[in-house]
Amino acid sequence: MFTKDEAQKLGQKVLGYSTFPECQVTITSVEEAYTRFAKNGITTASLSMRRSVSVAVTRDGRTGQYGVDDLDDASLKEAVRKAEELAAISPPNPERMPALGPQKYPSVNDFDEATANARAPQMIPHVKTIIDTATKRKLVAAGLIERAHRITAITNKSGLFGFHEGADSQLTTTVRMPDGSSSGWAGQPSLKLSEIDSAKLAAAASEKCERWRNPQRLDPGNYTVVLEPTAAGDIVRLITPGFSARATDEGRTFLSKRGGGTLVGEKMFPEFINLRSDPFDGRQPSSPWGGELLPSKALALIDKGVVANLEYDRYWASKTGKEPNGGGGGRGGFGGGFGQGGNALTLEGGSDSIESLIASVDRGLLITHFWYIRNVNPQTLQQTGLTRDGVFLIENGKITAPVMNFRFLESPVRLLKNTKRLGPAVRVRGLEGGMMVSPALVASDFPLPSISDAI
Amino acid sequence: MLTRRRFIASSAALASNLFAAPKNSKTPVVDLEKLGAVALNEAKKYKATYCDIRIVRLRDQRVGLRLTPERGTGKTQAVPTVAEDSSFGFGVRVIVNGAWGFASSPIVTKEEIARVTGEAVIIAKANATIQPKPIELAPVKAYRDRWETPHEKDPFEVPMADKLELLRRSTEAVKKNAKVYGSTASFNVRSEDKYFASTEGSSIQQLILQIYGNVDATAIDRQAGITRTRNYTPTQASAGWEYVPEMNLEENAGRIREEVLEHLVAPPVKPGKKDLILMPNHLMLTIHESVAHPTELDRALGYEANYAGTSYITLDKIGKRIASEHCTFIGDRTSPRALGTVGYDDDGVKTSQFTIIDQGIFRNYQTTREQAHLVGDKESHGCSQADSWATVPFQRMPNVWLKPGPAETTLESLISGIDDGVLIDGRGSYSIDQQRYNFQFGGDAFWEIKGGKKGNMISRVAYQGRTPDFWQACDGTAGPSYWRQFGTTGDAKGEPTQINSISHGCSPSRFRNINVLLTD
Repeated sequence: MFTKDEAQKLGQKVLGYSTFPECQVTITSVEEAYTRFAKNGITTASLSMRRSVSVAVTRDGRTGQYGVDDLDDASLKEAVRKAEELAAISPPNPERMPALGPQKYPSVNDFDEATANARAPQMIPHVKTIIDTATKRKLVAAGLIERAHRITAITNKSGLFGFHEGADSQLTTTVRMPDGSSSGWAGQPSLKLSEIDSAKLAAAASEKCERWRNPQRLDPGNYTVVLEPTAAGDIVRLITPGFSARATDEGRTFLSKRGGGTLVGEKMFPEFINLRSDPFDGRQPSSPWGGELLPSKALALIDKGVVANLEYDRYWASKTGKEPNGGGGGRGGFGGGFGQGGNALTLEGGSDSIESLIASVDRGLLITHFWYIRNVNPQTLQQTGLTRDGVFLIENGKITAPVMNFRFLESPVRLLKNTKRLGPAVRVRGLEGGMMVSPALVASDFPLPSISDAI
Repeated sequence: MLTRRRFIASSAALASNLFAAPKNSKTPVVDLEKLGAVALNEAKKYKATYCDIRIVRLRDQRVGLRLTPERGTGKTQAVPTVAEDSSFGFGVRVIVNGAWGFASSPIVTKEEIARVTGEAVIIAKANATIQPKPIELAPVKAYRDRWETPHEKDPFEVPMADKLELLRRSTEAVKKNAKVYGSTASFNVRSEDKYFASTEGSSIQQLILQIYGNVDATAIDRQAGITRTRNYTPTQASAGWEYVPEMNLEENAGRIREEVLEHLVAPPVKPGKKDLILMPNHLMLTIHESVAHPTELDRALGYEANYAGTSYITLDKIGKRIASEHCTFIGDRTSPRALGTVGYDDDGVKTSQFTIIDQGIFRNYQTTREQAHLVGDKESHGCSQADSWATVPFQRMPNVWLKPGPAETTLESLISGIDDGVLIDGRGSYSIDQQRYNFQFGGDAFWEIKGGKKGNMISRVAYQGRTPDFWQACDGTAGPSYWRQFGTTGDAKGEPTQINSISHGCSPSRFRNINVLLTD
């Protein structure tokens, strides 16, 4: 992996190969190690490293980009030459913004050396804990433990330079009955591998599997739900495209006012809903810069239930007289990290424990997490997906029975509008990679229009 | 450990020229074979019972154009994207003490291959300590061969200006009607040079080429708060540039221009039980989700339980009816121009066709060498695949296609048998549970069918169902002249997630009494 000095030298060398007035170089290097297990045994394990240099050159508003992972001089020169060739035949981009000069990037601490260097000897004991617990309880475990060590450096001909080193890890497990009649899941993403509690995860997934046996069939319909933090994060994080200033101004988001204008300043949500993009949260991976290389900043999206801000990229900010505040789709702001989108998103939590959230519900459902969530309507943000690995009936504040899985059809907008209570916020990572900091929550009128036979 | 000096000082000589071979050569490049032999010899020193190496070079070229009005002036602006990436490296797999080990590196030198083979051995030995049963591989023949996607014109050699010009003409055709807000169009060209060698005696070089194109139209009604997009996505193909004229991007741009405006004012569907006609560019993904995924053996056995899920098609379903007699599905990594078509899989197995479902009866799972014995098969169906040199090969779906119906069954005859139904074209929102029972699929455009006739466009349609019931409800599929193949390029499976590109062919097909929903 590169040191800051090595990355800077490599960047300068590549900039020196370009004859164009503007040249930007992005250097990334990622080393990943994982151990995967299923049916109470290890199935695959890997140690891999990838690195790449991406060159973007611009002359007369025409930009070409070429990426390569051969880092010898000949390959880098060739990458610059190809980027310049592509730029020469590209039409000018009328929305292109001039290159940024030197930036003062904030400090973002998401690097733990022990996590970055962990290999099989540090990971296999966690796998053994899970498998031993499952075996002892006559259950069958599958799962993944992984860590990543990532370095990113950016530089350009206008004197900009940034360097960031981060690490991340996670352990997830699904524990099933040997005959496939029940399933329980638990997972923990962690910036420090040493903080992963495999015994707790093994117990949680096993207990859920044992409690979910023989689920009963409940009628489809609208239910009050208690969403565990991962389930809440699975849906809430999908609200972020609605805060695009450009799409909203163009009439394409839920924040577009009919006939023109936006709903910024409107109180759309309960008083206790506070949602922000926060690269400095400290519980999740982040980046000192956003997708357009501006320094990362925290941005309130919903403040005490009021729509607080939209996200402006540099071009749209220049057209509307606003300050750019993120955007560009990269890390920081709404982007990046090791998953996809929404990584720096935080929904502020409350003080209720999951037990007191359950106790507050007369009749409803407790949901572990969701699966295969897809957007049905990009404007309203209506989503569909399914519950998975543990759904339980709540009656008079107590869990009374396991119930079969459901399909849901709901938007994060309506979910937050219908939210009644919040638990403490924790870092979550959904099955399809989306991360945020989210509390458990209680929401009313959650649409569950059909039953799934899946276990 | 890899030192910084070695990391930075990669080999220049081995990059683009390493895979260069005479056009019709049937043997791998000798320099590749020499590199491959390093891993195989090193693994033998460590007493590995199996070793393979893949040396891979990936290229990915993207060109796009977006036409949207400038804020304030309303003048149409053309925003281009022109980018290319390449990636080069190798991965080594070993079996030691009955367990797998894998390691990879972007530095393709003999010294590094030897070092990384040692890393893979260390990982295998660690895994073996809690491996319940030793890995068992089905037999495979040894091949020395060079295979490439049939093509006449390398798409990377076509000037970028020609690609941009075709996109410009297509997007401008969409924007001819000022009521259309915006249009985007794109080409994506990919190539994979791959060399495989194994201790089974195989030495195989392959070149895989893929081309994708798309043009879309977006319309907005600010007063009503509605946005609609209409796509034209021609068949994504493993082919050379000679295929591009068959895409007819520009020719279809005018059609989607008018259809997006019709969709903007189309009335919402009246939900309820209806008959469906699903066009091939839509049904392909329904096949993908509800037939191809649940017939993956690793799912059925529980190996994907933590992420992708298991399967409703359990082992006891072999020989049982799971679809109507109109449904025969073939697994096929040899289908011309299909995205999943290769000469050999990543186990070194020569690819073939096999029957998955025969007239509604489930016959075969998709398998790899490691899996074949688990269902009593003597050989693999050739479904091993990794998405890069840095990832571990595992079981991925082949192209899976639905056999067409009799020649006399036409689209019109299928529609004529419907009193109240919907015709669905193109891909929309797709979601299905982890055992592939409960699904909800949308589409790109919808037409009402009343009294046996296709009527006007309608909007806000999705259908929901239970997979075995849905395929039992298929009562007809159009004949061979209607059969089309469409690809999907982002099929995710495994942990860490890997991506696969495959194609699914079918004719327009009819499904009875399906639950149709009204969405937002």
